[in-house]
Amino acid sequence: MARPRLGVVKFASCDGCQLTLLDLEDQLLGIAEQVEIVEFAEATSARSAGPYELLLVEGSVSTPEQAEAIVELRRQAAKLVTIGACATTGGIQALRVFADHDAWRASIYPHPEWIESLATATPIADHVPVDAELRGCPIDPGQLLEFLTATLLGRRPRLPDEAVCLACKRAGSVCVVVAHGEPCLGPVTRTGCGAICPAFGRGCYACFGPRETANVPGLRRSLVVLGNAPADVDERFAGFTALAPPFARAAAAGLAAAAATGGDDARR
Amino acid sequence: MISATEAPAHGPGFLARKDLGALFALVRDDGRRLIGPTVRDGAVMLDELDGPDALPEGIRESQTPGRYRLEAGRPGRLFDHTVGPSSWKRWTFPPTVPVGTTRRDGAVVAFEPATPDAAPLAFLGVRACELAALAVQDRVLLGGPVADPDYAARRRSALVIAIQCTTAASTCFCTSMGTGPEVSDGADVVLTELDDGFVVTAGSRRGRELLERLPVRLATAEERDAAAGGVAAARAAVAANAGVAAPGLPSRLMAALDSPRWADVAERCLTCANCTLVCPTCFCTSVTQRSDLAGAETLSERTWDSCFTGSFAAVAGGNFRSRPQDRYRQWLTHKFATWVDQFGTFGCIGCGRCVTWCPAGIDVREELAAIAPPPRAVVTGMHLPAVTPAPDEAWLRPARVVATHRETANVTTLTLAWEGQVPGAGQFVMAGPPGFSAAPISVSRARRGAIEMTVRAAGPATAALTALGHGATVGVRGPLGRGWPLERMLDRNVIVVAGGIGLAPLRSLIEAIAAERERFRDVTVYLGARTPRDRLFVGELGAWSAAGIAVTETVDRAGADWLGRVGVVTHLFDHAERLPEGAVAAVCGPERMMEATVEVLRARGIPDERIFVTLERHMECGVGLCGHCQLGRFFVCRDGPVFSIAELGDAFGREGL
Ligand SMILES: Cc1cc2nc3c(=O)[nH]c(=O)nc-3n(C[C@H](O)[C@H](O)[C@H](O)COP(=O)(O)OP(=O)(O)OC[C@H]3O[C@@H](n4cnc5c(N)ncnc54)[C@H](O)[C@@H]3O)c2cc1C
Ligand code: SF4
Ligand code: SF4
Ligand code: SF4
Ligand code: FES
Repeated sequence: MARPRLGVVKFASCDGCQLTLLDLEDQLLGIAEQVEIVEFAEATSARSAGPYELLLVEGSVSTPEQAEAIVELRRQAAKLVTIGACATTGGIQALRVFADHDAWRASIYPHPEWIESLATATPIADHVPVDAELRGCPIDPGQLLEFLTATLLGRRPRLPDEAVCLACKRAGSVCVVVAHGEPCLGPVTRTGCGAICPAFGRGCYACFGPRETANVPGLRRSLVVLGNAPADVDERFAGFTALAPPFARAAAAGLAAAAATGGDDARR
Repeated sequence: MISATEAPAHGPGFLARKDLGALFALVRDDGRRLIGPTVRDGAVMLDELDGPDALPEGIRESQTPGRYRLEAGRPGRLFDHTVGPSSWKRWTFPPTVPVGTTRRDGAVVAFEPATPDAAPLAFLGVRACELAALAVQDRVLLGGPVADPDYAARRRSALVIAIQCTTAASTCFCTSMGTGPEVSDGADVVLTELDDGFVVTAGSRRGRELLERLPVRLATAEERDAAAGGVAAARAAVAANAGVAAPGLPSRLMAALDSPRWADVAERCLTCANCTLVCPTCFCTSVTQRSDLAGAETLSERTWDSCFTGSFAAVAGGNFRSRPQDRYRQWLTHKFATWVDQFGTFGCIGCGRCVTWCPAGIDVREELAAIAPPPRAVVTGMHLPAVTPAPDEAWLRPARVVATHRETANVTTLTLAWEGQVPGAGQFVMAGPPGFSAAPISVSRARRGAIEMTVRAAGPATAALTALGHGATVGVRGPLGRGWPLERMLDRNVIVVAGGIGLAPLRSLIEAIAAERERFRDVTVYLGARTPRDRLFVGELGAWSAAGIAVTETVDRAGADWLGRVGVVTHLFDHAERLPEGAVAAVCGPERMMEATVEVLRARGIPDERIFVTLERHMECGVGLCGHCQLGRFFVCRDGPVFSIAELGDAFGREGL
């Protein structure tokens, strides 16, 4: 039986997610036995190797060229899976939508006119239909392996859409909200990372984006009641998954408050 | 176990604090790991302890809804705290344990149940409410028809050293639930802390033997009084806290299923599940699979789940509790009402963990007072009799596919060689191809030596089942549940109404009736299918008619080649002038279809006691242990899936239950 063809391509992103595939050192040989890896490159470089049974897409769409490329890639992929916060929510670069794009570009690059970029950095799903998402910044190697294994075997991959809190409690960590008053976005964030930050005494930064029924107003209210400044709580949403709809409002408010007080803070 | 208050012949003893190390040493000599309280990351946690130095000396906590801080307690005291976020369930019912391994080597498939981990433990510092929590979980996990083997092994081997409370947090309400602060039974040894040591009593033979090996002298009258005074102080402190008006609470709460407060609390509730995971009695779990890339070996594991997660009550194509308010209502009504119906105790023992560790600071005491306000007189008490564990459960067993029959484009009937108990009409099995989750599937035909399952490809696991060929192996557990009440149908007219795949469990009923046709009066079968191509068992309808069973069919949508009736199945009754006298009805199909059918049957004069439906719910275990299939006070897997409408009462067709 011919092995299914697996492609990995990237858009605007840091490569961290596709490197996760290489991090699966022990399993990499096994994966290569089960699938034929035909593409492992930047999406905008040579792209002749389609069609793909499974295409993993990293990064968000932030140039006009990328917006065209993803449509073509979708045509070549039987199953298209987005990997990472950039591809699934826009990523950290999506913070640009909250700012004046042209002014920002002018302040960063010596020759802004040479930089072709969109005023937005949008998730892949805004452009083409997506069959599955692997969240996270970066994605979790365990989830990637589970996804590949389940897909090969035809069963439903276990990518639970539940709060980070469940993994945190199963791990036996102490809740940083209740025991220390830390702001933590775990209750509204999808699980997948294994609740790493709370295990080290820090609040969750929502790398995996919103979970189903994310009660953002409820969490903001309780974090404030527990002693956090409203602006600090909101700013926490202005991170890796700020553009995700349930977070966007809080993120925008957080950035606005930061800009009003600190100036540069808004451009972290 | 004898009662802890029943003192050994020579009365309570005294163990000096400096001799606590001897207890640790003894326990270790007996080959046990000692688990007890220790400070970690700003909280008192239950971890493995090396020696008495690890205990939280001179520490107390301040606990309020959503807030927990360590504070200075009485100097030198080792147990001046109360309860932290971890509970003993982490050790008796760990977050993740293996259930079994499926190995596939070519065509050979083996299902090996996991061997329970019985490495003996000793629990030091178990509070009265926590003993009650262990007793509650005993009832849930050992007291039913099927016992959880892993829990049974861990629980049986654990030595329990209790500590009586002499302080209380503001979140404690054990006195409301009748579980503390005095330790009554369930411990091997009971300690009460004084400034320089512990008053000790034995609660079991195992405990007495332990005390005999320790440097324990008789306690003086002053020491005994001081111990009693400490516990009395704790009782007074708890009694001053907000509580729960437990007597009559179940019925008050169930009468308030439509309270506007559910939507109000849902605005605050984050559906984060922290309350259920810190709760020492919550027992809900899911089973997940992990395989190697080739699928040769699959490990199935049981993991803590919660009725607050989105997929908890999801079934292929829908979710019975999609709204946060439905999930909060399930939690509160389960703990304080339906648990009593299911297990004879409350599901809450008043430890206050869910109050402190809710990041939104939601307090069950406050919600209960608002939703189900207390009556005037308040009496307390909860009796927790010991339970006798049921025999250990068997996991999946291999069954071979000996025939397949394609019914429609996406429905296949599999015949399995079957040596086990012959299933009754309407019973089901948990069935899955190797490496997949097991799905509940009705037995559509049962005879000696073989059973049939008729499966619609609704998702990955069922799609894989329908794709199996002759000779393949399926993992099966069953027969499970309560089937159709054939005895209630004897000498009566019978009406059978089926929608789509709902005919599968009814086929076994129809065949059971056909086999002894003379024992029933008029039998009428109404069948609905989406299109003519979706009709099931087409080749068998003639045989049913020949056996004297009237069959009427309809389809929702038809092509030109269909000469039969068109319209939803309930319209078939319009053609029947009157329904047969004293009839008993059996209905199965999509939930909405069943609701509509029940309405029509009622309108035609059939009382709720004689209308039976079989319900679909999300199921993980099939035997009453995982909690997923709950509908009010019922476990659909164990108490159903067949119910009369009278039994279901308000629960039938109610949104979000
Ligand atoms: C008592 C009983 C008898 C039944 N009898 C029959 C029968 O005779 N024939 C028949 O064809 N069907 C029957 N069913 C229905 C059948 O069990 C379901 O169609 C089957 O469980 C679907 O499983 P799946 O893995 O193929 O589909 P999936 O869609 O993968 O569903 C599997 C389980 O996972 C849950 N799930 C779905 N989506 C997610 C997600 N994103 N994350 C986590 N979990 C998810 C579902 O709620 C479901 O319980 C019966 C059900 C019950 C309760
Ligand atoms: S419901 Fe709350 S107070 Fe009651 S036992 Fe569970 S965690 Fe403790
Ligand atoms: S259904 Fe009951 S036992 Fe299960 S998690 Fe919810 S409240 Fe706890
Ligand atoms: S009641 Fe509190 S702990 Fe429980 S799910 Fe709601 S917010 Fe989370
Ligand atoms: S309790 Fe597990 S399926 Fe019913």
